[in-house]
Amino acid sequence: MAEDLNWAVGGEAGDGIDSTGKIFAQALSRAGRHVFTSKDFASRIRGGYTAYKIRTAVDDVQSVVDRLDILVALTQRTIDENLDELHEGSAIIYDGERSWEAEIPDEITAVDVPLKSLAEEAGGAIMRNVVALGAACEIADFDVEYLDESLEKRFGGKGSKIVENNKEAARLGQEYVQENYDLDHLGYSLETTDNDYVLLNGNEAIGMGAIAAGCRFYAGYPITPATSIMEYLTGRIEEYGGHVVQAEDELSAINMALGGARAGARAMTATSGAGIDLMTETFGLIATSETPLVITDVQRSGPSTGMPTKQEQGDLNMALYAGHGEVPRFVVAPTTITECFWKTIEAFNLAEKYNTPVFLISDLAMSVTEQTFPPEAFDMDAVEIDRGKLVDDDTVGEWLDSQGRFRAHAATEDGVSPRAIPGTTDGAHMSTGLEHDELGRRTEETDVRVQQVDKRNRKVETAKEEEGWEYREFGNPDSDNLVLSWGSNEGALVEALDYLEEDDIDLRVISVPYIFPRPDLTDEIESAEDVIVVECNATGQFADLIEHDALTRVKRINKYTGVRFKADELAEQITEKLSAEVPA
Amino acid sequence: MSSDVRFTDFKSDKQPTWCPGCGDFGTMNGMMKALAETGNDPDNTFVVAGIGCSGKIGTYMHSYALHGVHGRALPVGQGVKMSRPDIEVMVAGGDGDGYSIGAGHFVHAVRRNVDMTYCVMDNRIYGLTKGQASPTSRSDFETSTTPEGPKQPPVNPLALALASGASFIAQSFASDALRHQEIVQEAIEHDGFGFVNVFSPCVTFNDVDTYDYFRDNLVDLEEEGHDPNDYEAAKEVILDSEKEYQGVMYQDENSVPYNEQHGVTEDMSEIPDGAPEDAMDLVREFY
Repeated sequence: MAEDLNWAVGGEAGDGIDSTGKIFAQALSRAGRHVFTSKDFASRIRGGYTAYKIRTAVDDVQSVVDRLDILVALTQRTIDENLDELHEGSAIIYDGERSWEAEIPDEITAVDVPLKSLAEEAGGAIMRNVVALGAACEIADFDVEYLDESLEKRFGGKGSKIVENNKEAARLGQEYVQENYDLDHLGYSLETTDNDYVLLNGNEAIGMGAIAAGCRFYAGYPITPATSIMEYLTGRIEEYGGHVVQAEDELSAINMALGGARAGARAMTATSGAGIDLMTETFGLIATSETPLVITDVQRSGPSTGMPTKQEQGDLNMALYAGHGEVPRFVVAPTTITECFWKTIEAFNLAEKYNTPVFLISDLAMSVTEQTFPPEAFDMDAVEIDRGKLVDDDTVGEWLDSQGRFRAHAATEDGVSPRAIPGTTDGAHMSTGLEHDELGRRTEETDVRVQQVDKRNRKVETAKEEEGWEYREFGNPDSDNLVLSWGSNEGALVEALDYLEEDDIDLRVISVPYIFPRPDLTDEIESAEDVIVVECNATGQFADLIEHDALTRVKRINKYTGVRFKADELAEQITEKLSAEVPA
Repeated sequence: MSSDVRFTDFKSDKQPTWCPGCGDFGTMNGMMKALAETGNDPDNTFVVAGIGCSGKIGTYMHSYALHGVHGRALPVGQGVKMSRPDIEVMVAGGDGDGYSIGAGHFVHAVRRNVDMTYCVMDNRIYGLTKGQASPTSRSDFETSTTPEGPKQPPVNPLALALASGASFIAQSFASDALRHQEIVQEAIEHDGFGFVNVFSPCVTFNDVDTYDYFRDNLVDLEEEGHDPNDYEAAKEVILDSEKEYQGVMYQDENSVPYNEQHGVTEDMSEIPDGAPEDAMDLVREFY
């Protein structure tokens, strides 16, 4: 297991918790340490408990655990909320000068730092969080110069004075702890390395993947936790000749994206479950008109408004079945932040190769989690773009009927029709959500109806054969214990393997990035004694699919508290499940 | 190429299933003639329509086209134009499509001022669902679902457009073929969102807002010497509930279309074979 340090800052929303955490995470990343962050925030602008947690190690970290070593507490609630994660070796940094009197358990080391006064000394009370960061560096025995680099990055645009003041604030925090406390007995010492890492979250990876894949038109409507994809693309996509438009609602957003896609741009919209509900109206049109479009759903707790700032993987059935009638679609679910990048690129290729909508489903935990990676994990030279059967002036002729009309919905053997975009000579055609013939003209003729339905469904069959619907595998491939998962649970599962190893339990972990089509796991399931499906929802939507595919009952681990799985917690639950009966 | 384009090039070989005498025939003919007359051809034109009798228009015209879902034609048209500034975009809708289910989109399309043309075939009734009240039906207009009339006043789409900051507002009459074509032409040539409300009588279900009614009551603004650049004069005719007008009511001489405002000038359909050359910069940002 990685020698790790778990750090957190907590207070009220509006206290600058997020930026404080981000600055420290970046400093650790600059020091060549792995970082994995998680956020706990409420659905309000100011007030309410909010926290930013960092787990850092020299080895790769992919999960949060139930332990907190250093806590920067700006409110009593921060301490209360994290009591069960604090241990004898924990330290709490707080400001005893503030009006609240911190109630800190005796066994925890209380580090009282006059954050506000020291910040004022450095140039302004606003920097009290940076004072706390300096104090944290001292407790963790972490070189404060890495914090300087992070502060330069953060405040460089605001001028050297601001940067210097912040550095001074950090120094004052560090020195105060040095002079007033002896904390060597806590034993923290953060090793640094020469490794270069980048630090980013799942939504940033999706946005970056979209630009790399040639997405140039994005239409969306703000909704937690999908908005940051739009915010990432705004200001960056223009550099590549693209445009982001904030539509008046989700109905408009998906229809604008549809317009962009029909005009020939690689287009995307992103939303969360409640927004998908509204977009569903247009979903059948996209599939029937055979428009290549990527629709991203960053899941949050539902139903209805549910818990907008909390984790859940409850939209899988919606991605699979949304819309009336029967329409072909692909459902792709990245399992890690790097996969958010690669699967986004793949989603655009699939959409254009098969002229159909692709659901890219991520979740809140992945969208807000920042993690370190070597930059090569996003190797742009490895990006491949496949625009499918896009015709041009020279090739359009192959697809004209005897009267020179473009067969936009030609009933090909592989189910994939050619695609002509506006401006292509002789490619003019209409597309519609009405059942239509090969030319796109409305029809109610039974044989044409069957021809077109079969054609559209045939492309899924073609894709099943042509594409590699692989899964990701970890642990012992020969183990009798098989654990299946989808989405962001992968990291916690991978780390749970270490915990289980201590108890001599081995697992074969399969993490599935494709929901439809999905890999055939029948052999893997049949060769295992115990099969457990792990997911962040109450009913086990993925487990249902697995049972359906393999015609067998599986054990389920479901979490729907609104919080993602933690590695140690997951290890415990897996141990329990392994000795439990398979449900009838 | 466009020099020898004739309006019949915009005609598909599909026979319209509109009722004989429907105003939509004249509306569509005028749109096709205006497109040809302004130098467009089917390969550089995109027509979008929603649901209802008006929604069928894409089927009967020949161009790149999309027949979408009810009330959402405007967002589709905007998406096309935002990503392809080189393409001529024309959106057609009905009074139900545009002022009821699509009213929200109408307001926002108007204020974005995307350079496209929006023709609403306004027959003041729901035709395809066989004669219910529409948002522009008179308050005493008796229908199957409003036996005593809707009672509430009709929507004034021109006023809605004006209040939303429209840069071009016009009204035409499907049966006055030449004037209708001229007005649509002006809308196409306008730099921005060209909105034309077209009186397009429903001969089957509306026996009040008939061809005769419009012929007898329509006042042509051009003949009246109306200056469309005069905002106050435009406000007066648009808010005048006593008379029916045709012509260009308002045109903002300083209109700056959306793509220009946002610097959206590139053909977004053209992308490199792999990631853009400098794409590693995107990764380095996260150092």
